[in-house]
Amino acid sequence: MIWIGDVLVSRGDGGVYNERMLGGARVWDPYRSKLSALYYKGKGVELTAAMRVLYLGAANGTTVSHVADYVEVVYAVEFAPRPMQDLLEVCRRRRNIIPVMADAARPEQYAPLIESVDLLYQDVAQPVQAAIVLRNCVFLKPGGAVILMLKTRSVDVRKEPSEVFHDTIDTLTSAGLVIQESTWLAPFQGDHAAIVCIKPEVQGLS
Amino acid sequence: MQSYWFGDVEDGRCTVFIGDLYAIVDRVQSISTSMETYVPPDWEQAVSCGACRDRQDYLVRLQAVCIAAAERWIREQYSKKDAELLQMVRTLDEIDKVINLLSEKAAEWYLIRHPAFSRKYRRTPAHALVKTMRERSKGALGKVAGEIEQLENTRTVLAKEVSSRANDVMPNTSALIGGLVAARLMSQAGGLLSLSRLPASAIQVLGARTALFSHMKTGSPCPKHGIIFQHRRVHNAPRGIRGKVSRVLAGKLAIAARLDHFRGVVEPEFLETAQKRIDAAGKES
Repeated sequence: MIWIGDVLVSRGDGGVYNERMLGGARVWDPYRSKLSALYYKGKGVELTAAMRVLYLGAANGTTVSHVADYVEVVYAVEFAPRPMQDLLEVCRRRRNIIPVMADAARPEQYAPLIESVDLLYQDVAQPVQAAIVLRNCVFLKPGGAVILMLKTRSVDVRKEPSEVFHDTIDTLTSAGLVIQESTWLAPFQGDHAAIVCIKPEVQGLS
Repeated sequence: MQSYWFGDVEDGRCTVFIGDLYAIVDRVQSISTSMETYVPPDWEQAVSCGACRDRQDYLVRLQAVCIAAAERWIREQYSKKDAELLQMVRTLDEIDKVINLLSEKAAEWYLIRHPAFSRKYRRTPAHALVKTMRERSKGALGKVAGEIEQLENTRTVLAKEVSSRANDVMPNTSALIGGLVAARLMSQAGGLLSLSRLPASAIQVLGARTALFSHMKTGSPCPKHGIIFQHRRVHNAPRGIRGKVSRVLAGKLAIAARLDHFRGVVEPEFLETAQKRIDAAGKES
């Protein structure tokens, strides 16, 4: 990751969402992007130029545009027409974002389009967040990483965030993923946790 | 056999699909992939069967297909009749808020300029007060009052349009509860399709989100009605049976929303029995 002083940046064409520029690079604000917050917490997966990323819940393409600055190609899945309109505008100016108009919970809809990826990034705020990760693991290379942004309030408002957090970790572990690290994203994002896990090299993942 | 956007692959042999951009989009949508036997596509395979020249070309072509598919899907979604109604009714509710806020502020300002003025013991409706403010105030305050009046006119026009559009898009729901309220229900649900999929119990408390979540979290009494409180049978009913009336009404609205979504025409027979049932619910005790 590229840091200028203690500011996280990415190198690419600016002006996507009026982001601040610093020394010709785009400032990646941890209060706006959960992935940036994760890097500010000193955790996360190092993004490299050869990486292929499957990004679920791409929304307006704000975070996607930063990820695309770092990696080879981003497959950006989004289901709502309104944010997709903005995402398409970003795609027209960035050759390495492939917009996929589909429901992340139904990978069979976009399976003919997605090649195997090194990183699966999941930011779909749904009650079934962990299940969505598992269904999309089929696109992940063995040894590849998963970053799950857990919006605990979307899973179950009645439960304590920490309870939801532990339930999710249990689900992921019992499906064969190996938890690498996990953290709460405070003070940047409230009630959000990030879980980083690895798909083991040996097969046997359902 | 594995089917991908660029062609079919079987036993390492690849058949390229020939067609223009939209033919490929149609193909992608028609492919049904079985996830148990699925293997992700490989760009080198696409090159070897002649679908593209190299890695760069693969991505450029794939992006063009995906952008075309997304654009078409967005156009389809936006051309649905309820998409515009949704924005219309949300704008209407926002204008209402703005009018209220602005008239409150202007009235406070007007009071400073006229120390002897008070609204106590006068039955001045808000819009009459705005008119007075416009006529008797110079400068910016008069202008603000004038703008509020303009906004009120716009609101009237928009409300009529919402109402008539709702009668067209959701005839049965509108017939039961009025075009404006029907449109508000639809806006809360997020669209006609979403509304038609909601259970009656959810329709009953649409728009009472805060009360519902505080009920689920802390066990405070559950809300009896949300937006449907605006129906006269509900708010005119005696307190004791309001819950009952709104439950019956919500039940009929759920059916009406489904009729609207799947048939889209008025069903007089249904409306008659539903209306009777709702009227009867208000009279039982």
